[in-house]
Amino acid sequence: MRVLAIFGRSVAIFIPVFFVATFVTFALRALSGLSPARIQLGESATTEAIANIESQWGLDRPFLVQYWDWFTDVLHGQLGTSWVNGADISTLIGLGLGVSLSVAILALVLGTVLGFVLGTTAALRPGTLLDRAITGFVTVISVMPAFVVGIVLVEIFAVGLDLLPSGGYVPLEEGGVGLWLAHVILPALALSFDVVADVARQLRTGLVSAYRENYVVGALVRGLSPRRIFFRHVLRNGMGPALATLGIKFPSLVGAAVVTEWIFGLQGFGRFANDSAQAGDVPAVQGVLVVSVAMVVTFNLLINIVLGRVTPASQRGV
Amino acid sequence: MTTLAKSTLTGTDPTETGPTESPETGAAATTAEPVLAVRDVRIRSQVDDREIVKGVSFELTPGKVVGIVGESGSGKTLTCRAVLGILPPHFEVSAGTIHVAGEDVATLEPRQLTAMRGSTISAVFQDPASYLNPSIQVGPQIAEVIRVKKGAKRREARRRAVELLAAVHLRDPELVYTQYTYELSGGMLQRVLIAAAIAADPRVLIADEATTALDVTVQAEILDLLADLRDNAGLALVVVSHDLAVVAQLCDEVLVMREGEVVEQGPTEQVLYHPRHDYTRLLISEHEQYGLEKFLTREQS
Amino acid sequence: MVRRVLSLASGRLAVGILLAIALLAILGPLLAPQDPLATSDNSLTGPSAAHWLGTDYLGRDVFSRLLDGSRVSVVGALEVTLMALVVGAVPGILSVYLGRVFEWLTLRIADTLIALPFLLFAVAVTALLGNGITQAMLVTGVLVSPLFYRVSRAATLAVARSQYVEAALISGASLGWVIRRHVWAKVLPPIAVALAQTLGVGFIIVSSLSFLGIGVQPPEPTWGGLLASDLGYLDYRPSAPFVPALLIMATVWASNLLADAIRDVSGESGRALVNTRKAKANQLAAGGTA
Repeated sequence: MRVLAIFGRSVAIFIPVFFVATFVTFALRALSGLSPARIQLGESATTEAIANIESQWGLDRPFLVQYWDWFTDVLHGQLGTSWVNGADISTLIGLGLGVSLSVAILALVLGTVLGFVLGTTAALRPGTLLDRAITGFVTVISVMPAFVVGIVLVEIFAVGLDLLPSGGYVPLEEGGVGLWLAHVILPALALSFDVVADVARQLRTGLVSAYRENYVVGALVRGLSPRRIFFRHVLRNGMGPALATLGIKFPSLVGAAVVTEWIFGLQGFGRFANDSAQAGDVPAVQGVLVVSVAMVVTFNLLINIVLGRVTPASQRGV
Repeated sequence: MTTLAKSTLTGTDPTETGPTESPETGAAATTAEPVLAVRDVRIRSQVDDREIVKGVSFELTPGKVVGIVGESGSGKTLTCRAVLGILPPHFEVSAGTIHVAGEDVATLEPRQLTAMRGSTISAVFQDPASYLNPSIQVGPQIAEVIRVKKGAKRREARRRAVELLAAVHLRDPELVYTQYTYELSGGMLQRVLIAAAIAADPRVLIADEATTALDVTVQAEILDLLADLRDNAGLALVVVSHDLAVVAQLCDEVLVMREGEVVEQGPTEQVLYHPRHDYTRLLISEHEQYGLEKFLTREQS
Repeated sequence: MVRRVLSLASGRLAVGILLAIALLAILGPLLAPQDPLATSDNSLTGPSAAHWLGTDYLGRDVFSRLLDGSRVSVVGALEVTLMALVVGAVPGILSVYLGRVFEWLTLRIADTLIALPFLLFAVAVTALLGNGITQAMLVTGVLVSPLFYRVSRAATLAVARSQYVEAALISGASLGWVIRRHVWAKVLPPIAVALAQTLGVGFIIVSSLSFLGIGVQPPEPTWGGLLASDLGYLDYRPSAPFVPALLIMATVWASNLLADAIRDVSGESGRALVNTRKAKANQLAAGGTA
């Protein structure tokens, strides 16, 4: 019941988001003034030839009609065809999605686990040297942009120690876990620093303030052990902000894929977006953006449901 | 002596409805050994090196009620917290001893203190909503205590939690079991908090301003409930309040505190009717002026 | 508020670093000892008297390129911040007063902008709409503007609903005075915090984009671009990325530090600093971490 209510409310928030996002995305073509004709015919094409090609692509129809057609196709998973080579964009993105998702999910897992360990360790010993050391470390990694981390990691593990490959990708089903991990661990680590910093910080603040709440005293007085109080009462209430941060952070995680995939030579959808954008292949760019928005929306839906389960009280009226 | 007293109490089922695990062995009140003995306790703040509580002593035997009266900041709550072994950071007991069921609290390991809380001594407070976890339904929080402290299985714990909710006179205990704190009223929450506090059959219950924020009728109901628990379960109570009326209704002995000092101490009747200290007289006269008279005139009209 | 920020050691440090970076941006191109675009035969050399930070793969002086490139980064970050401020704060304040339709619309747009992976969008939009650093920064400014929208909206809401403003108006204070005295005091600190934070984000974005080569023409030096060219020659000069990376991190760190300092002096904890004894007690109670 409650889960359904939360789900309903979240969907109600995200439907307009999806609408606006796709609209903005689609408006990019009109705003850019780019046309498949320029790509296919070059600069010296006659206006007739251009008009001919544009009508082939349906670009001579009213803007809203085009949008609606495109939008309904998107809902069916059809992202159109590339202006450059006529290939199916859904297929092209699908090819890169495995790499990108591998890296993003691993980064998320690494970031959450490391952030959790650092945040709770600091929160359980507030004010100590350890707490300050962790806070300092977190401050340092929070100001390192993903590409700086990426370069540092390449320096240490690929160039310096020669332990891991500096780039490329081997899918899980081809090379097994070891080879797959060797290729995605560095980019994932590069992406995860931002998540580590945010999760650690939010968790520390959340836990420290949760420990000041009266229900901790209540649980103590009822004779529950510190361990139990931490896991069942404090953690549950203190992890709300950290979870919410994960939802907020996810878009920049997806976005930063552009940079890490470039550093590590991965053919993911970030690289695809960059290449397509440079080539002026508008439908391909639109496709990537829609997929990224869909990923963000789905992830935030999940986060909202988890948040609603974990801290039902704080979710009321939000 | 102590173990005997313990067995009589743990055998007494506060819910009256559940099965008794061990046979009843006479009234608990007959034992003279105090379940709680506080001797000249002083509490110091480490931040500014000030003594906040300057020597509190009292003894409590099963079935008896001690009241502590005083304005806010008089050291009542700190005294209670010291008894529970949960003084806030940077406060310490600088002198005196606290014995709970014969054991010196100062000598107990943290693990032993945890074992003691809930099953020997427990407490309820003002603003009951904040003392329950807002993210968990209230029932499971009671069941949790039963499972942890009494080693009950999940279903058994749930059954007994519902019984406890019924025993604290909550209507529809099955429904209340599944509700969150924000779905319940202040009076209901205080009953839930009491149910959670007595779930592991403690021998001493500290009620720190437990009726303060409630309106008059609810306040009276909660006091009745506490009196019930004292009579039926042989629970020893420490009732802390700034309100003399609360103390007068329930307590056998009263301590009047002011700025950390006990200015007057003695049997309730003596303190209320023959106060010796000016401050006590002031409290009583204020009460007559603003409390009782008002109450009486409203009754008459 | 400026004086109170500067009374904190962290505030002084943050302002000091940012001022130094700003000076670098203004004077850097003039200070550059050599032509940042001039190539030479001795490529990929280490630091020497002639080339303090060595040379890159085309034999260009890295130190000069770094100084010359600082302007692009600073101007870019400022563009992001100012754009975000205007696009975010104005609708944020107006959303409280202009009725429910406007409020609903702006809220949905803010939700959407937050959900967009902004680096991806910045890359896409910049590449499609014309390859210029300014366009890229303005687009990014729009994408990060929800921060200002939310902050200014929350502060305005708090003021609009507060009773002290009503009380001041009833007791005869002029609207202008109330805005200066109460509204401004409430809205300004959170916006200042958001400004400093966005400045940090702006530096990250501008260096990320220039790292990818988006928004800048190749020979023109940028901090991100320097890193990108170093990446290809890590085997020869592993220490090359050190200085540009450090510069970027120091700037971002100073921005965050400034944000924290402003928050510290404008929040409740900031006021407690005046009463040192109470603050000390609070700090002890909070476990030494205020």
